[in-house]
Amino acid sequence: MDKSRKKEKKKSISYAKWGYYFIIPFFIVYAIFTLYPQILTIYNSFFEYYRDGLNIIGPRFVGLGNYAKLFETNTAGYVPIVRYTMNTAILWVIGAVPQFLVAMLLALFFTSTRLNIRGQQFFKTVIYMPNLIMASAFSMLFFTMFSQVGPINQLLISWGVVDKAINFLAIKISVRSLIALMNFLMWFGNTTILLMAGIQGIDEALFESARLDGSSSTQVFFHITMPLLMPIFIYVFITSMIGGIQMFDVPQVLTNGKGTPDNTSTTLIMYLNNFLGLSKNYGMAGALSVLLFIMTAILSSFVFKTIRKK
Amino acid sequence: MKKLLSAILAVLMIVSLAGCTKPVEPTQEEGKVLNLWTWNEEFWGFLVKYYADEKIDEYTVKKGDVTIKRTTYVSDNMAYQNALDAALLAQETAAADEKVDMFLAEADYIIKYTNSDVTMDVSKIGVTDFSNTYKYTVEAASDANGVVKGVSFQCCPSALIYRRSIAKDVLGTDDPAEVQAKLNSWEMFDAVAAEAKAKGYYMVPTPLETYRTFSNNTTSAWVVDGKLNFDSAILNWMDQAEKYMAEGYAPGAYGIWDGEKNDQMFASGKTMCFFGPAWYFNFCMGNAQDPDKGCKGDWAICQGPQAHFWGGTWMLAATGTDNPKTVADIMNTFINNEEVVEKLVRNEAQFSNNQVVNNKLAADASYGSEFLGGQNDVAVFAELAKNIKFQNITPYDQGCNEGIQTYVREWLNGQVTKDQAIANFKDYLKNVYPGITVE
Repeated sequence: MDKSRKKEKKKSISYAKWGYYFIIPFFIVYAIFTLYPQILTIYNSFFEYYRDGLNIIGPRFVGLGNYAKLFETNTAGYVPIVRYTMNTAILWVIGAVPQFLVAMLLALFFTSTRLNIRGQQFFKTVIYMPNLIMASAFSMLFFTMFSQVGPINQLLISWGVVDKAINFLAIKISVRSLIALMNFLMWFGNTTILLMAGIQGIDEALFESARLDGSSSTQVFFHITMPLLMPIFIYVFITSMIGGIQMFDVPQVLTNGKGTPDNTSTTLIMYLNNFLGLSKNYGMAGALSVLLFIMTAILSSFVFKTIRKK
Repeated sequence: MKKLLSAILAVLMIVSLAGCTKPVEPTQEEGKVLNLWTWNEEFWGFLVKYYADEKIDEYTVKKGDVTIKRTTYVSDNMAYQNALDAALLAQETAAADEKVDMFLAEADYIIKYTNSDVTMDVSKIGVTDFSNTYKYTVEAASDANGVVKGVSFQCCPSALIYRRSIAKDVLGTDDPAEVQAKLNSWEMFDAVAAEAKAKGYYMVPTPLETYRTFSNNTTSAWVVDGKLNFDSAILNWMDQAEKYMAEGYAPGAYGIWDGEKNDQMFASGKTMCFFGPAWYFNFCMGNAQDPDKGCKGDWAICQGPQAHFWGGTWMLAATGTDNPKTVADIMNTFINNEEVVEKLVRNEAQFSNNQVVNNKLAADASYGSEFLGGQNDVAVFAELAKNIKFQNITPYDQGCNEGIQTYVREWLNGQVTKDQAIANFKDYLKNVYPGITVE
């Protein structure tokens, strides 16, 4: 009798199970909304499965057929997935590089005890503002502003800069620049705030002693701020990169889903969206999604490792 | 860990079971809510004005005890079809008040729905009298066996819509018969385009404006035996478009719904010719009707170089509807209630789908359209309606028509070569319609 009671008591002291109970909701949600669809996507990628009109074709097992199709040269003479990966990469780089530079500079200014900028709260709110607007609304706004009869063209003509309206949305470089500009405007505030949090987490004493030792601002930045900011920087970099791979709404709305001109602004997710339109092509879309998943995983681990080593 | 796994599995099972609720038995009584799916507000506006008893808000009206609710998706990029397909395929398991009862479909894809079980035989719910409607509107709404699945409230012969003042300057006349005589073929049209240009005008607002006149006069369909097919009419249109851009007969290669093109409809516009049916000038030429910047009355219509039709909205009855009586009543009202139909023509500048009303107004000397400077448009359209042939239709037409215009535009804008544009178009179709073979 005594013995068993003791045992019960011992059992109830273990609090480990509560830990599990508390994390169960996350795993349930994860399993239903992420893991299960993910497995289904991988499964579907091996099948021919789409809609022709209202008729459902398949599912018919085709092995790696869908993957092979993704790497076929199309009627226009290029491999779509290669071109769209390049598009996505270019669009991300030309938007993200200035974004990191500006955000880093602003974060340094705002956190610098020597500058001690006034009205910080105001500026922080203002630079974060664009992020509150829905990307598609933002894109629609740019579409209207830069159309051939839009205000930008009217201004350019009335100032005498050009004598005929420029078709911004039909020129490769301007479409890409506009997409990059929008992504920049929407995200630099967010990055600034994250980097600021990172910099503020660094012990102020380090900056002070460096200054006392006579190091320049550049030296402080490269030898104190940057190395200690690395974990946050990696986080910001990887999330931005994943966001870049998933770039969709801005170019989709700006080019009406066609990635004009000549598919030079079609991103990988826009390509995916084409499969998921009317034809609900789960097979091809699944194969593309799996490739994207692998690509994201490889890139993330690569970036993580290289930056970590330094 | 095992417990955790079993918990997850249990939850997954419950969730998957929850998905299989029993389908609701169709009720014999008329349902409380009629769900109408549309891609714009045109027909809805008529329904509110001429059918409903009471307007509740922008998306709801009441007729007797039945609440009519509108669900609207834009047509662009096939968003409407996309959402509608999902709703129709889930029809069996949807609750009675959530079911699609009636939906609108356009000429470009109506065949997809009529040839499917998602639409029902309207003669079974009491829509049987098509004697006054135009034959092609009934054919278009019928399946392969001739079973009628819906009706249209309009008939859509497309006309050449021209600016009177510009025509006077270029042709020396604005009389429809004389203008028609000078624009009776594409050769004549091209010749006049050169004259218009010499006087500082544009013949068309964009080379895409004439697309429907060509695409509607094809001798073969977009898809033949499951294969993509370029009809010679489409190729001819591409040649014309190239020429018009090169010669400067159009201000730019704008899309047909673009603001740039619509600006040409203002009084300040320099464009002489537009193409479209009755719904076009009352529903899409808002700029021309603008009280300040517009030019109401400075327009007229004639057949133009080639007879054709464009679009048209059909009401289809969805299988599984719980409001068969109201659905039938709406359909009958908009084709056979002569009082309502006449209002559509007089107040809304529609060309109706009731020949009795149309012929009456066509013969009425006192009837004239204010927008067209007093011209009796019904008389013109009644003549043109005789030429409509509903043929070479496939379920893939929206993607083909939308796609070719998008990609040809890139070529006209000088971004790609002609071959590249066609290749891009084919690649696009391959992605959107995996069911067709694109060589």
